Amino acid sequence: MREIRLQNIKKTFEDELILDCVNLTIKSGEFFALLGPSGSGKTTLLRLIAGFETVDGGSIFLGNQEITYVPIHKRRVNTVFQNYALFPHFNVFDNVAYGLYLKKLSKDLIEQKVIKVLRSVHLEKHIYKSIDQLSGGQQQRVALARAIINEPDVLLLDEPLAALDMGLREKMLVELIELQDELKTTFVYVTHDQFEALTVADRMAIMNADGEIEQVGTPKEIYEFPASSFVASFVGSTNILQGTLIQDCKKIEISGIGMFEVVVPKEKTGLCEDLEILMSIRPEKIEISKTEMTGFTNHLKGKVDSIVYHGRSTQYLVELENGRILHVFEQNEEHFPQEVIDYDDVVHMYWQKENVVLLDK
Amino acid sequence: MKNTGFKTAALRERHIFASMPALLWQIVFFYVPLFFILVVSVLKRLEYSIFDNLTVQHYKALFDPAYYKIISRSLLLAFSNSILCFAIAYPIAYFLVFRIKHLKSLMIFLLVLPFWANFLVQVYAWFFVLERGGFLNSALLGLGIISEPLHMLNTPFAIYIVMLFCYLPFMIMPIYSSLEGINKSLYEASSDLGASSWQTLFRITLPLSSSGIRTGFFLVFIPSFGEFIVPTLLGGGKQMFVGSLISYFFIETRSIFLGAAFTCVSGFMLLVAIALLTVFLRLVFGRDRA
Repeated sequence: MREIRLQNIKKTFEDELILDCVNLTIKSGEFFALLGPSGSGKTTLLRLIAGFETVDGGSIFLGNQEITYVPIHKRRVNTVFQNYALFPHFNVFDNVAYGLYLKKLSKDLIEQKVIKVLRSVHLEKHIYKSIDQLSGGQQQRVALARAIINEPDVLLLDEPLAALDMGLREKMLVELIELQDELKTTFVYVTHDQFEALTVADRMAIMNADGEIEQVGTPKEIYEFPASSFVASFVGSTNILQGTLIQDCKKIEISGIGMFEVVVPKEKTGLCEDLEILMSIRPEKIEISKTEMTGFTNHLKGKVDSIVYHGRSTQYLVELENGRILHVFEQNEEHFPQEVIDYDDVVHMYWQKENVVLLDK
Repeated sequence: MKNTGFKTAALRERHIFASMPALLWQIVFFYVPLFFILVVSVLKRLEYSIFDNLTVQHYKALFDPAYYKIISRSLLLAFSNSILCFAIAYPIAYFLVFRIKHLKSLMIFLLVLPFWANFLVQVYAWFFVLERGGFLNSALLGLGIISEPLHMLNTPFAIYIVMLFCYLPFMIMPIYSSLEGINKSLYEASSDLGASSWQTLFRITLPLSSSGIRTGFFLVFIPSFGEFIVPTLLGGGKQMFVGSLISYFFIETRSIFLGAAFTCVSGFMLLVAIALLTVFLRLVFGRDRA
């Protein structure tokens, strides 16, 4: 249970730069998620830690030990593969026991450990089944059991739930969190699914399509205070508007729409008067109403262009005067809301200046 | 998913129709002649009658150690040729699958190229390699490894080396395709769990390619057992093998009853040998997976 440090990692495949100067520290014992679109190099990063690929530059540390060029089978790191990669000629027991067989442990000890691990992933009833008799979810658990039985310092999970259906996925996410809590092993979880990442992660890194890390932080930091427009729009959905800072950096002027109050955070000292900047406001942070309301710092008018009913919430696409579309989410709190918003209704939208995030262009 | 049982049954039915021509061909040109040989081997005279025409005398005549020596010599040749082919074919197939990235199809093309020539032509080509003033002797002399030309034609060495080369592709191809079919992430999983390359080879790669190995063994073992061109031409006919003896009975002495009986006996021995070979392969490479 040691931390992983990646220093200036560089990786190319056939002259194509996949990772360029990646620096990242994953703390000991944390559940860390690597989130990014496909082609962002997140799986490559995982494979470098596992040892399936070698770096073209930079170094990897596990605790104080450099493991950049340590062969795969000598790293105290185990992997749960996306397609599970279970050995088809072994049954469940032998698949899970494989790592222990290699260590030449005694038969009794192997049996004890395998049964204990299979119990922790709720597979104790399927010990002697062959792999093709198992469902996808059960195969996933075998893969998990096989990887944790060696008690690795780090467990790598490469899109482990991608092949499961939604309900099972949510259940497995909870089980993964519980398992990590119990083992205290460092988990590194690669996914392109923001829901999974936000659910499981203690901290997460967002990677962009160029193989760079855009932001590292807790799920809440990432969602509420995205560091770039890429992060803001990749994690969750948001409205991004371009404008200019005016009036002592207290307001932003968006041409064709109006002026809005903003708060420039202390750490963003680089922001100054007349600077062109992006403003991000999340759809659920906007109040929508047909009647005028008070108590909000910002106000905007528009016409309802389309309504998408999601069940727990409703999404409105509102057309502004200049033709821009703004997304707004409303919680469906009541069976019979007092006010029903319909297509082509003229609506007022309100938000607080504290909920706006300013981003560099 | 629940309909798979039904679906495969329907598919199987269709496969039966699709395989009818092949089955018919096999019956007419293989099982029917085999049946005739079986019948002839117990006849006294070549007549369309079984009354006062049945006998086991041909089989009795074969109770002679000389014949069993020939059968065991053929079995030994078939078995050692299969083992030699496997020992050379497996690394080649492994290399083709894992080390060759470009020009893979060219390599495979070169491997099957000899098949474009008639088998007899292939065998005759070896004369130029193995004869006294042939390629191999001049090469060895030129390198100073030997001082006098080696006598290689008409020796067991010639038989073994030519058999090896002629049957090698039959071993390479099935092993190649079974290795190619293994999911590559299994190797990563194996080393991830702590296996060295050798451990992965013995615990994962070999067992998972066992079906290809088995096919290769049968493809080499069975024709090697009946092979008569190579022993006759390159062995100088000094040693009798099953194939050469059968052709001797049928063609040279025209004793078709004895020939038929010997064919049946050696065929039976081959079946026993195949059964033993299957057990042997299972013990060495593990069971075939379902």
